[in-house]
Amino acid sequence: MRLFNLIFFFIFISYGCKKDPAPISGCTDLLATNYNPNAIISNDDCIYFNTTPYTFQNPYGFPNMNIPENNPLTMEGVSLGEKLFNDPILSADNSLACISCHQTNSSFSDPNPVSVGIDNIAGNRNASALINLGWNTSFNWDGSVLSLEEQAFEPVINPIEMHNTWQNVEITLNNHAEYPQLFKNAFNIDYIDSNHVVMAIAQFERSLISTNSKYDRFLRGEVQLNPSELNGYAIFNSEKGDCFHCHGSQMFMDNLFHNNGLDSEPFNDLGRGKITNNPNDYGKFKTPTLRNIEFSAPYMHDGRFFTLEEVIDHYNSGGKYSSTVDPLMKKIGVGLQLTNQEKEDLIAFLKTLSDTDFINK
Amino acid sequence: MKKYFLCLMIVFFFSCKKEEGCMDPSAANYNSDATIENGDCTYNLISININFSQTVNQNPLVLNEMIYTNEANDNFSIQTVRYLISNIFLHSVDTSILIKNVHFIDVDNPESSSIIVNDIIDKNYTQISFTMGLIENENQTNLYLNEDFFPSFVWPEFLGGGYHYMQLEGDYNNLFLGYATHTGPTNGIDYSFTKNFDIPTNIQDGSSITINMEINNWYSNPNVVNLYNGIMQNSNIQAQLQENGITDVFSIVISK
Ligand code: HEC
Ligand code: HEC
Repeated sequence: MRLFNLIFFFIFISYGCKKDPAPISGCTDLLATNYNPNAIISNDDCIYFNTTPYTFQNPYGFPNMNIPENNPLTMEGVSLGEKLFNDPILSADNSLACISCHQTNSSFSDPNPVSVGIDNIAGNRNASALINLGWNTSFNWDGSVLSLEEQAFEPVINPIEMHNTWQNVEITLNNHAEYPQLFKNAFNIDYIDSNHVVMAIAQFERSLISTNSKYDRFLRGEVQLNPSELNGYAIFNSEKGDCFHCHGSQMFMDNLFHNNGLDSEPFNDLGRGKITNNPNDYGKFKTPTLRNIEFSAPYMHDGRFFTLEEVIDHYNSGGKYSSTVDPLMKKIGVGLQLTNQEKEDLIAFLKTLSDTDFINK
Repeated sequence: MKKYFLCLMIVFFFSCKKEEGCMDPSAANYNSDATIENGDCTYNLISININFSQTVNQNPLVLNEMIYTNEANDNFSIQTVRYLISNIFLHSVDTSILIKNVHFIDVDNPESSSIIVNDIIDKNYTQISFTMGLIENENQTNLYLNEDFFPSFVWPEFLGGGYHYMQLEGDYNNLFLGYATHTGPTNGIDYSFTKNFDIPTNIQDGSSITINMEINNWYSNPNVVNLYNGIMQNSNIQAQLQENGITDVFSIVISK
């Protein structure tokens, strides 16, 4: 009986040994990046996901930046976003990057009136300058999307832009030599999905902040504006030029939509009205910021004006009548009646908004 | 005589027996017998609405139609109506409660036409007061950066800084001419003004107080004001509009 018990005991032990030769040691913390689900003994070698916050000073006179709670700016995210922004890998034939249409030295806009996509098809709108976008409440000339994340989904699959599919982008990026590790560092993910691609791009776009123009230095008391610039500043900021009602505050835009009298009806491009289906919005477009305006020619939603002189002539002429033209533009047929000197002064002021640090980024 | 004396004694005795309790008639535990305030009044909570409406010649505002005529005989339409009402207070005999610091009304945004005020104490409110615009020390550049009237209401620093009180815009006399009645602090002078209205009927849970702006009265009484499109540096017209505003632009209606 005893012998029997003993044998039984040995069998039991040997089975136990077979099953568990030695308890696995490893990181047992679920929150760690190297969490080992098989580990039983903690080896104190856990590695935690850690990003460095991307810090910036909120510019003078700006509200808080709109940053989604789930996508705070990190050094890792911003630099990944920049790499993606500059990389033609997002386009179907590896030929076109975001930066091809949003060129750095044009304040991240397109020097061509309308942009041409990978299939050589031109769109009907001028590529917007990408500048201080973190303070915009909607995107595209018609405000069709409400976040930068949402916006970045578009160009990749737009048939007249990068004409790719997100499925294809995911496959390419996941098989790339560098991207998987960069996404791991930025977001702690093992599989790159479209959501995280647009999150990284949006982080980079939020980092495109320009507040070091001559005008900013003037506000900080570091430089003086010359008499012509000062006179332009006065015209801009009074009802003489009345630019500030739409291009107001230190942001030089109002996050609203206006018809500034470019066309009479019927409109080629309904603009805001296409999104809201409200006839009162036909022909209205989002007021663009005038920061760095010197570099982002050509101007207006369709790039119709090549110089600031043409823009000022438009405002000075009073513009064209339509049923939705802004009441503030309504000196139709009369215009602002600026003298040539005053027009030059206004342009001189607009050029104080140029920030060469920004375009040399 | 003895009898009377006894009576007097009894009366005297009773009146001397002081009762402690809550002496505020609008309190939930009001004690009508109390002669000493014990400071323990409790109140019911009520919710009310403060609404903002606009009329032209007593009729509800209609936008974008050249159907109005003002005292100066300008024909006009109304396209934009935006204004700031600040320091909205309800007053009872012994307290004033702040309903909202600054409220931005934009007729294009129906949500801005009402403030829902939850859980205020149920007192006998006798007055409502508010300021049209922003008083000087509350009207500074870079205040309100995160409010919905930034940046559209910015009054340029070049013109003294701060914010507009009102932007009233449309066409006048013909479709090609716009007017802009933009009021605000002009040449360093504060043209905001405060209105105080009696609340005739007791407000209760679910009541609403509607503050109406009669738009055409901005241009009529006592000053006949023409429509212009550049009054932001014109103290004269700002003062006239302020005076008209104080006279009869605002009125209140209590419902329920
Ligand atoms: C083929 C040229 C082209 C390419 C490539 C392109 N864009 Fe654009 N982008 C445009 C045009 C044109 C607009 C204006 C669209 C409109 O308003 O309808 C625009 C608008 C935008 C806006 C809105 C800016 C604002 O102020 O509202 C953002 C943000 C933007 N693009 C980001 C990107 C990103 C990120 C990429 C790469 C993933 C990209 N774009 C690739 C042409 C391009
Ligand atoms: C009623 C509002 C309004 C007023 C007033 C106004 N603008 Fe504009 N501005 C706009 C809008 C909206 C656009 C874009 C229009 C479009 O593309 O259809 C624009 C476009 C511009 C552009 C081209 C920007 C770009 O990126 O293409 C410049 C430059 C400009 N405005 C300067 C001025 C100046 C200078 C004044 C004063 C003389 C002025 N604006 C007055 C609303 C206004």
